[in-house]
Amino acid sequence: MIPPLLEVSNLDRRYGNVQAVSDLSFAMERGQVTGFVGPNGAGKTTTMRIVATLDIPDGGDARVDGLSVLVEPRTVRMRIGYMSDQFHPYPNLDVSEYLDFFARAYGLRGKNRLDMVRSVSDFCGLSGLRRRPATGLSKGMGQRLHLAKTLLHDPMLLILDEPASGLDPRARIEFRDLLKELATAGKGILISSHILPELGETCDSVVVIERGRRVVSGSIADIQKSVQHEQAVVLRVLGDVEAAERFLLTQPGVSEIAVEGNRLRFDYVGDDAAMSGLIARAVGAGIEVVEIARSEADLEDIFLRTTRGHVQ
Amino acid sequence: MTVTETSALPPPVPPPVPDTAEGVVNRWSRWSDWLNPIVVREVQQALKGRAFVLSVFIALVVIVAIALAVASEFDPDSSGRDAFDAGLATLVPLLIFVVPMLAYQSMRHELKVGMVEQLMLSELDPYRIITGKLVAAMVQFLLYVSVIAPLLATSYLLRGVDMPTIGISLMFALLFCVTATAFAVSSAAQSVVPAMQGIANLTVAVTLAFASMAFIGYVGSGEYARDVSWLVRSDEMLMVVSLFVLGGMVSCILSALSAASFLAHAYENKSTGFRVFLFCIVVVALGWVVLFVDARSVPEVNAVMLFVLLLIGTTFGVFMVTEQKELSPRVQAHVPMRGSAALLAAVFLPGRQRGMLCFVVYLAVLGGCAAICWPMLHGPGITARFADEIRRISLFTAGYAVIYLSIGTWVRARLPKSVSGNHLARFAVPIAVLLFCMVPALIDVFVRGAVQHWHFGHIMNPFWTMGRYADRERGDEIVVYLLVFAGALLLVQLPSLIGGVREVLGASARRRDRVRQVAEEAGAE
Repeated sequence: MIPPLLEVSNLDRRYGNVQAVSDLSFAMERGQVTGFVGPNGAGKTTTMRIVATLDIPDGGDARVDGLSVLVEPRTVRMRIGYMSDQFHPYPNLDVSEYLDFFARAYGLRGKNRLDMVRSVSDFCGLSGLRRRPATGLSKGMGQRLHLAKTLLHDPMLLILDEPASGLDPRARIEFRDLLKELATAGKGILISSHILPELGETCDSVVVIERGRRVVSGSIADIQKSVQHEQAVVLRVLGDVEAAERFLLTQPGVSEIAVEGNRLRFDYVGDDAAMSGLIARAVGAGIEVVEIARSEADLEDIFLRTTRGHVQ
Repeated sequence: MTVTETSALPPPVPPPVPDTAEGVVNRWSRWSDWLNPIVVREVQQALKGRAFVLSVFIALVVIVAIALAVASEFDPDSSGRDAFDAGLATLVPLLIFVVPMLAYQSMRHELKVGMVEQLMLSELDPYRIITGKLVAAMVQFLLYVSVIAPLLATSYLLRGVDMPTIGISLMFALLFCVTATAFAVSSAAQSVVPAMQGIANLTVAVTLAFASMAFIGYVGSGEYARDVSWLVRSDEMLMVVSLFVLGGMVSCILSALSAASFLAHAYENKSTGFRVFLFCIVVVALGWVVLFVDARSVPEVNAVMLFVLLLIGTTFGVFMVTEQKELSPRVQAHVPMRGSAALLAAVFLPGRQRGMLCFVVYLAVLGGCAAICWPMLHGPGITARFADEIRRISLFTAGYAVIYLSIGTWVRARLPKSVSGNHLARFAVPIAVLLFCMVPALIDVFVRGAVQHWHFGHIMNPFWTMGRYADRERGDEIVVYLLVFAGALLLVQLPSLIGGVREVLGASARRRDRVRQVAEEAGAE
């Protein structure tokens, strides 16, 4: 039986009086892109560092490709690429020398090393910058170099801690495209980010944690279904918006009404038949309905609905 | 490591046809495969760094100035020697200040920006990182020496200095350069503890600056060249040179172990290296005595060496008995699977009970060596008084060591199970010694008005007790009391010492069970 790419079981980590991670369990399969989401101080970086063998849990274990990070950290390290949220290249080295150094550090030798350095440089769009000082790169290019370094030993699992933090919109889009290519190439990616709409576009599944505990996990579609018992609905009307608002206030299942011009946003609990009845009653009450639409819960909605913003 | 195919990435574009310069770079790049990556990177960085370029430029200016000065006031008798002294004095700050400081800054930068963690994720471990930095220092040494080489050659051609003197001087220079670099790197690694950063900065800067100034003064005064010329012709050359070489190597290894322990995670095995090192230096030290010391002095030197080794072991003991009690999960996972091997390895594995056991074994090894050497102490040329004194002082030291290390173990057991608990307990041992020395003296002052003479209340004061009884008749009686007390303390700790060994055997059995279970599961599939 092939073990999951990453299996985190009952992980505990405490720093002094702070319980950073508490009984955290989740798994991800090969080739899957998993978003790791939570408020600041939720325990994301701690968990990622434990998976990356840089920290050790007080309890529980994490297995990469069936190998325990506690028992076989050296073997695990060859299977993972960890991109921390900080990137500070060495001074007095250019991009090519920087990548060459890490390729040597990962045990690549001879032609294999030179080819790999060239390959990751091309993949990350650094070919034209090979002689540029590594410290002189823009933030976006720096992150590309950081990613290139992480890819040198061709890891099967990439652990990316806030990789898009501080990037401008163009650099973020370019970086997201790189991740999509890596996912297509079969890499497992565990990625944490605060830019949730982008995670939603990149990830197959998501793990939401708060106060070190898992709040919800699974595929984004499944979570959308489970959290979406209250649907966000937008109603556009002609004429008297206040009359429409008064009407909605009297309807069962309607709550949280907000008026924006001639649009009314509200949360609605009910199935399709109930929604059809609501529309019919609105028309019957003389409300001139132009458009009604249900909005799908995106990752941001899931995050806001499942977490309370607790900070440790 | 097995590097998998790069299939997961898009296929590499066909490599462009390299131009000549790039071809040379590629060839060099492949030839340097066998080098430690840290060496390659450190040298690349140093050669591009302002500090290196500036220091080479200044050295060149100084050398030209020296050459001009020698040419303008040429004296066939002294010019060669003066040129040698001036050249070496120019080399000293480069090797004892600039190279170690560059290594220090590099290590500090790596720690500050979290680069060390990135390196740990690769195939590099702390030992390879430190070794790489030391070898890089040697390469920089060669570069600086090549800058100063024309002046050294001139001093030889002017018959100011002979080849052996130049050779020994360069060897000493390399030794001091690498030792100073090891010290600097070790200090930089210690600054991973925030409280140590300021202390490390100050210690390294002041120590290296002071050492450089002292050496410049020594070399510049001409004393150095005279001393080396004497040494080259002396019968004791081999002994002195080997002592310096071994001392330098031992310092480098200790610095590397210390640096590696700071770089590794708290749950990694940081103890075994130190414990093995402790036993290795016994072999090295006694081997040096046998091989290099004049046969007539062997008994005397051996006795003193064993006493020095006892002091070194006691210092290591303070660290060994103030560790956390249990094996960390990561260490448990690497305990030898064979029961007999686990039993033998127990004293070398982390944990304070095993630390105490290790110290007891170390005492037994030194005791065995002393027993073998004892007949020599009664040979010709050695006074009976010296033999008795060194024996008593060693026994006093061993007894006090066991007592104070037991106190250290007791204190550690009452502190939190954290790394800071280890550090606190380490400070507690010298504080306990201080208290046991001070309190009886203060009681004497308050009760009797003054500290008049030694009495039994001062028995825990090792310095006064040894000073008073090392060379007296009643000394043996006091030593026996002390050793009985130390033995009783060890007996009290016996259950926990056995517990320490059983923990290792238990971890070993669990590993065997796990392997058996995996094999059974594989067989079932």
